Amino acid sequence: MEMQDSQIIAAPRDAVFEAILTPEMLKACISGAQDVTGSPDEGFEAVVVQKVGPVKAKFRGAVTVVDVVPGRSLRLIGEGKGGAAGFAKGTATITLADHPDGCELVYVVEAKIGGKIAQLGSRIIDGFAKKMANQFFESFKGEMEGVELS
Amino acid sequence: MLLKPCARWPMNKLVSKAVGAPMPRESARLLVEGRGSYVDDIALPGMLHIAFVRAPFAHGRILCIETADALQMPGVVAAIDGKELAEICAPFDTNPPGVPGHASAPQPPLAIEESCFQGETVVAVVAESRAAAEDAAELVFVDWEELPAACSIAEAQSDSAAAVHSSFDNNLSLHHRFGAEDVSDAFENAAHVVEESFAFGRQTGVTLEPRGIIAHWDPRAEELEVWQSHQVPWQMREVYAAQLGLSPQSIRVVAPDVGGAFGLKLHAYADELAAVAVSKRLGRPIKYIVDRLESFTSDAHAREAKATCRMAVDSEGHILGIDAVVDSGFGAYAMHPRGSFGEAMQAAQMIGAPYKVGAFRAEVRGWRQNKAPSGAYRGVGQPIACAITEDMIDLAARAVGIDPAEMRRINYRSTLDEGTRATQSGLVIEELSLDACLAKLMEAMDYKTLRAGQAALRENGIYRGIGFASFVELTGVGAGLYGPLGLPLAANESCRLTLQPDGSLTCATSVTDQGQGTLSALGQLIAGEFDIAPNMVRMISGDTGRTPYGGGAWASRGMALGGEAARRACVRMRDGLFEVAAGVLQCEPSALAFDNGEIIGLKGPSGLTLAEMGALCHYRPYDIPTGQVPPMTIEESFLPLNLPYITSNGVHAVHLEVDSELGTVELLDYWVVDDCGTVVNPLLVDEQLRGGIVQGIGAALYEECVYSEDGQFTNGTLADYVVPMAGEMPAIHVDHITTPTRASGLGAKGVGEAGTVGAPGAVRTAINDALSPLAARVAKQPFTTRRILEAVMAAENLE
Repeated sequence: MEMQDSQIIAAPRDAVFEAILTPEMLKACISGAQDVTGSPDEGFEAVVVQKVGPVKAKFRGAVTVVDVVPGRSLRLIGEGKGGAAGFAKGTATITLADHPDGCELVYVVEAKIGGKIAQLGSRIIDGFAKKMANQFFESFKGEMEGVELS
Repeated sequence: MLLKPCARWPMNKLVSKAVGAPMPRESARLLVEGRGSYVDDIALPGMLHIAFVRAPFAHGRILCIETADALQMPGVVAAIDGKELAEICAPFDTNPPGVPGHASAPQPPLAIEESCFQGETVVAVVAESRAAAEDAAELVFVDWEELPAACSIAEAQSDSAAAVHSSFDNNLSLHHRFGAEDVSDAFENAAHVVEESFAFGRQTGVTLEPRGIIAHWDPRAEELEVWQSHQVPWQMREVYAAQLGLSPQSIRVVAPDVGGAFGLKLHAYADELAAVAVSKRLGRPIKYIVDRLESFTSDAHAREAKATCRMAVDSEGHILGIDAVVDSGFGAYAMHPRGSFGEAMQAAQMIGAPYKVGAFRAEVRGWRQNKAPSGAYRGVGQPIACAITEDMIDLAARAVGIDPAEMRRINYRSTLDEGTRATQSGLVIEELSLDACLAKLMEAMDYKTLRAGQAALRENGIYRGIGFASFVELTGVGAGLYGPLGLPLAANESCRLTLQPDGSLTCATSVTDQGQGTLSALGQLIAGEFDIAPNMVRMISGDTGRTPYGGGAWASRGMALGGEAARRACVRMRDGLFEVAAGVLQCEPSALAFDNGEIIGLKGPSGLTLAEMGALCHYRPYDIPTGQVPPMTIEESFLPLNLPYITSNGVHAVHLEVDSELGTVELLDYWVVDDCGTVVNPLLVDEQLRGGIVQGIGAALYEECVYSEDGQFTNGTLADYVVPMAGEMPAIHVDHITTPTRASGLGAKGVGEAGTVGAPGAVRTAINDALSPLAARVAKQPFTTRRILEAVMAAENLE
């Protein structure tokens, strides 16, 4: 499954780039994140609790950061193990560009899901993954622009 | 010894008044009123529940299992992994000695170190309730290393394929050939040679009631009691005894009401074995009910196959030769205990079965895949063979330029060739009645009018198709097949008939009933032998503690084998009672008959009713003039001695319309003329045919287990795995030709799978007939709107 979208963030490009790679920001933006630790150099570890259709899952995820072009682009490679619920893995390529209103963030997410949650069929999984990705970047925009998102 | 095809046995006279009577099925009332008792309705004191943690990868290595968090949860009793269960339970070893070269890895009840399909059980979480067990299972953490997997048949057979199981370096599980090594002569001299490739999607049975089990190991008595939603309780007794190292006599297996089985409840599953082993481990009753999501990934799958077939015909349309290769997808392990090869073998061996085919060669290969194991599903391989055969017949008829019905008629086989013991592919058949079936079918469907209408509508761009499927079906498969394979399976069916003191009868039968109504028909048959009401016969079934040893339900055997056993028991019971009555009435036993439950002598009604006979024999034996009390319990077991199975046959036809722009199929009408020999209850027989046809239509148009490239089951819910619904089904017109089998006195052949065997072939040939003006063909089942549109567009692009 592949998803692509963009956000205009009212903040300077460099500030956006710096912020996206802090555990605090990741925790604030990943829906259902209980704990995020680590650093861009060593990678991040995250615990995320999510409900996909009827299946509740606690994912233990590891995220590594590769192909870093400071201020411009990076790629996140993540893998989450959800125990009885299955697993999720994927990559997110994030590209930043200057924009009259601040900075344009373009993201391309490729995700693979397996186990019980995959069985629910793409009609549930695709929607769920889109929602997760959108929530992440909308929260991120909100955090950067200092807007409280409900 | 084989029956000589020319030997004429006397036609069976009507066995009793009850045979052939459309009696309503009283025992169904209980089920439709929701008063059935299924495994999940049973609760034992102190019973615990299992939720399984299943493998998320098609192929993976277990690095570690953490259960500490799960064990902290309220109500959780244990979290057991494969290593722990291995201490008390052996893995399934499913390599029948009679199948040369068969290779399957051992399958433990819970995966140890390596798992080979998505959905394989890894950890059993045991708790006071299912909900508590499921909540705790979510907290079990398994660290996995994903291993390379081979999922599709093409992938499994490629040279660079990943090994499905680490104990093998390739994925070939079976390689066999039926017929001649070389059939090239037949093809060289043929007027026409047609060739086609076929693909069949993976399916599963989708029973209304999912699999389920309660296992109770009693450590005090050292006895195991099992209640299981299953077709073959006696087989399961032997399986659990072997896996747990117990005496079979210490095990009782009960199959209570079972809500549909279709073959998938014929197998022994790792899940259920784990439940039994956990009960032994903990010494407490354990319940495990498979939920719908689990059913999809862990029930036996079936049908996944691809094939190529060539057929040679002469200028008049006579078949000169068949040359086929079938590749079958076995899944990760061979299904225990019967293996996964049955479908592959029958898919190859049954190609061309209704016809005189000249030279015959069919090669079959079975491939391990990182997918759920495949096993028996209503029809076992025969729907594949039938679809291949019938599509080839249509292609050949088109090449020769004759009508497809005529092509069938001139090639039908009616008996074995003189001086032979089997067909070229090794099938042992009795007399077939395909000619008569086809004639009756064509009359019922008004074939000529349908063809004329089809031609007229084509002028207007309306594409209707007429499809035929002739089939020969192996029913009542017995020891002649399983014995030589080295499978320890009782394939006889038995009846233990008891006359109670009040004159009612009890029939304990090895035959089991999963909703077919077999027990009602058996009761009807028995009642008819004494001319009493069916409710005077109490049926006992599905309990190794209460029924005689025997098979159960598979391969359409209930009436063909179980009915004959019951009939024989009745005859012996009656003969014994007639001996007594003859003494009382001072006449020859041969002068006596039963009428309305009373013995009729030379002077008419004798007053010796069944109740009087029961009282006489049980309470006043001294009043019997001969002093000889006949046995009040008679046990009979039946298996056709001279035949490995009983062949039934029939012809299906379907009329449908394909929308060439939408790719949709509308089923307009469906006909079947079936010959299952003696029909005991036509209502039950006709519903078996209709139900089977609906399942076959599901196979043809809707049902497919869709796996992703990396072996994830992606449509494992009833929202995405589409089963046929009543609204889409056509009127199904059923008729019969009756050729009683000579293998039994009753003359009944099996009928349970006849619908499923023929329907996919009939729908396939009809769609291809409809698409023929567009020069489009479908080859991959199911024929979804997408596949039909792709075929139409591919044909357009060729123009």
